[in-house]
Amino acid sequence: MENFIDKISLCIERGKINLESPYPPDLKGEPGADELTRDALLSGVPAGDILTKAMIPAMGIVGELFREKKLFVPQVLMSAKAMNLAMKHLKPYFTSGELTKKGVFIIGTVSGDLHDIGKNLVSMMIEGSGWRVIDLGVDVKSDSFINAAKENPGSVLGMSALLTTTMESMERSVKDIRDKLPHQKIIVGGAPLNSDFASRIGANLYAPNPQSAIEYLTLCQ
Amino acid sequence: MKMTSRERVAEAMALRQPDRVPLMCQFSIGAMMHQLKPSPAEFWYDGRLFAIGLTELCERFSFDGILVSLHGHSPTWRDNIQSIKNVGEGEQVLIFQDRTEIHSWDDLPLVKYNIKSKKPDIDSIDPDRDIPDTIDYIPVSQDLYFKIDPNHKFDIFDYIEELTGGRYSVHGEITSPFDYLLDMLGYEEGLVSLIMNPDKCKVILERFTKGISQLAQEMCGYNIDAIKISSPFAGMGFISPEHYSEFVLPYEKEIIRAIKERGKFVYIHTCGHIDDRLELMMESGASGLECLDPPPVGNVDLANAFTRVGESMFIKGNIDSVNTLLYADDERARQDVLKIIEEGKEGKGFILSTACSIAPKVTSERLEMLSTLVKEEGSY
Repeated sequence: MENFIDKISLCIERGKINLESPYPPDLKGEPGADELTRDALLSGVPAGDILTKAMIPAMGIVGELFREKKLFVPQVLMSAKAMNLAMKHLKPYFTSGELTKKGVFIIGTVSGDLHDIGKNLVSMMIEGSGWRVIDLGVDVKSDSFINAAKENPGSVLGMSALLTTTMESMERSVKDIRDKLPHQKIIVGGAPLNSDFASRIGANLYAPNPQSAIEYLTLCQ
Repeated sequence: MKMTSRERVAEAMALRQPDRVPLMCQFSIGAMMHQLKPSPAEFWYDGRLFAIGLTELCERFSFDGILVSLHGHSPTWRDNIQSIKNVGEGEQVLIFQDRTEIHSWDDLPLVKYNIKSKKPDIDSIDPDRDIPDTIDYIPVSQDLYFKIDPNHKFDIFDYIEELTGGRYSVHGEITSPFDYLLDMLGYEEGLVSLIMNPDKCKVILERFTKGISQLAQEMCGYNIDAIKISSPFAGMGFISPEHYSEFVLPYEKEIIRAIKERGKFVYIHTCGHIDDRLELMMESGASGLECLDPPPVGNVDLANAFTRVGESMFIKGNIDSVNTLLYADDERARQDVLKIIEEGKEGKGFILSTACSIAPKVTSERLEMLSTLVKEEGSY
């Protein structure tokens, strides 16, 4: 069993998605996260162990390396792809209730902003850490954030903005949300932001990278 | 001896000491709108109006140079518009057959396509068929393109010369092949393709490089002093130094060589964290580096950058447009800028500038402060 766990971890850390994938070159021709997860389940490895001992820790390592700028976006995207393929095999276990998500994270790029690179990266990493992610897309108005949060009590909201002008819509949205849902937990992120700005507008956290958001979410559980 | 604005910038770019530190910030479209309050759609599409705005702002804030961030404005830009509606102060909605554009004083136009086209899969791309010999668009931002009119590619430089009489240092701007690649494939698939299909990426990059070099060489035929190559996704926030060496450097190097052959200065601009690749950027052969965002937006220490690349490159930067110009109090903003002037003066070639573009809501007072400080403290 440990062999499967180690191998699945390695595949996710290194972004080895499946047998056909030529990346990383030193694992060419080897099975990837896809086949190994399938085979592990067939061999009787508990789905919960695959999730909590292989997949989530591996994505944690990826997130930490990305924060330290030892891994870069292409490699992180490959790890997320490997995670997604492995996760497909676990879907029936989530459907049956044998496995559960850690919570719900709602994310969107704020009104007036169409940039989604950062948002998508954060979504992938948070999903990989075991949370259900509801992605509202780009140019998201306050009402959409509020409705999604109301439909998912206990969820955490994430808001992204890349432009200094849309930092203002972020401020407006946080205010609108606070008016309706004063205790809603809100994480903000985006290139021009910082923690002073996050505090000033009333967000709970400024996340400079996905791993910081994941650490906060762990505290929210 | 007192120099003209143009001479001052030229001296700094040639790594010689001018009379004082030159000042030349690049405006974001939103910052120009915020200052000028024009008809936003006209300002975006009308080359003459854009040139008037650039010149007016340069004069208003005593800058020594003008960066022309858009070129190729079409005089017939209204022809494809089905309707223009003024929907509020400083906001216009333009309806085209395939899209709606919202132009406002806030920032870049917001474009919403009626049917969002799917980005092509890299395997389906035939570079000969899909990448034009002549580059006819600028990928300005996500889903936002500026079409280059083939018959009016560089009219803007003539307008500016007419307006300024060559008093200022005028710089053109082109976009790196790496950006064209990511735009073509979509950012995520583009970045994954660097790993999964590197050879095809290189073929695409080569093809774009050919067209962009041609565009840059044509631009050199106008009365400009330098060209900036913009490459916002080539920093540590996106790719490794190895990928920079493989997918950015060789292609920018070729364009830089072509521009330098035409006798113009050329500098490269990459946002955010770039400290780990300053030497690689120097390998490009560029005359200068722009941006060098300081913490927290980036991680470059100006004094350190001069020791590493300053013998062969000028540096244009590195005021934090958001944390210094937009949000800091007066004293903190003043101290931040003074420190940059002091450190910059120690280098061989230095132009005081914002790292990235001036953020849209930066006040006139803050911009006036820059010229005051550079005049008071920037003399050599």
